[in-house]
Amino acid sequence: MFPKLDPLLHSELRLAVMSILAGVDEADFTYLKKQTGATSGNLSVQIDKLTAADYITVEKGFKGKMPRTTCKITPTGQEAFSNYVESLKEYLSAGK
Amino acid sequence: MEQNKEMTASESLQLITETFNKNRKDILRSSAKFFIFWGALLTAISLIIYLLWHFKGNPSWNFLWFAMPVIGYPLAALMGRYKDGQPQNEVSKMLGGVWGVFGAFAITLSAIAILLVPMNVTLIIVIIMGLAECMSGVLLKNWPIIIAGFLLGVGGAVFAMLVKGEGQLLIFTLGGILLLLTGCIMKLQYK
Repeated sequence: MFPKLDPLLHSELRLAVMSILAGVDEADFTYLKKQTGATSGNLSVQIDKLTAADYITVEKGFKGKMPRTTCKITPTGQEAFSNYVESLKEYLSAGK
Repeated sequence: MEQNKEMTASESLQLITETFNKNRKDILRSSAKFFIFWGALLTAISLIIYLLWHFKGNPSWNFLWFAMPVIGYPLAALMGRYKDGQPQNEVSKMLGGVWGVFGAFAITLSAIAILLVPMNVTLIIVIIMGLAECMSGVLLKNWPIIIAGFLLGVGGAVFAMLVKGEGQLLIFTLGGILLLLTGCIMKLQYK
């Protein structure tokens, strides 16, 4: 029996955001937008979903006079991401 | 990128790997400019002091070394401000840490040598500089940088013991060029 893939992570944009955040301390909204190539609206919606699941935290502040939104992966998010990768590996090894 | 695209398991794993690698490359490529900047500054200042000492015959020009942190740190901070929200990963943080510690040692020991206990500062600084360069190579998993750092530290120590006077400064010119090359290698490695 295969473990069910986390539906929240099994989405292209949300998975890309989590993959970026898993490798850094924190990342700006503008950086995530640049790296994923997503539109601001689309990215905001997906970030809200990840925040609601407690996978990431969002902090709004200022850098100089410019508004800045910073995203950071939570321990829950790290665990969910690791579990998701493990599940993917199980799927792939079973398919061989 | 679409949020609702159906992905297979292998597509998901590929997306994770590609995103992770691209992110890592972008961060390390961005760190390369600091190596180029500090390398250029070290090359320029060591050459200026060497030429002034050589032609004016006065070792007091060594005080110009303190221009390095005075010029370098504000400019490096300014460069960091305009990084377009570039985050840090473990490797870029450790690289910053290694060179930050090197800077603290170099400045403190130079001040102690001038004010309190005279010592062969060139010998000490070139060894820790070679060590910092080696550590950078280990973190970047780059053998040419590891070897260059080792040669700078060991070769520089021998050079510092054999050569006296302003000639010793040329080892720092070589060190600066090595830093510059490290930055260029990083730019190529993470293209």
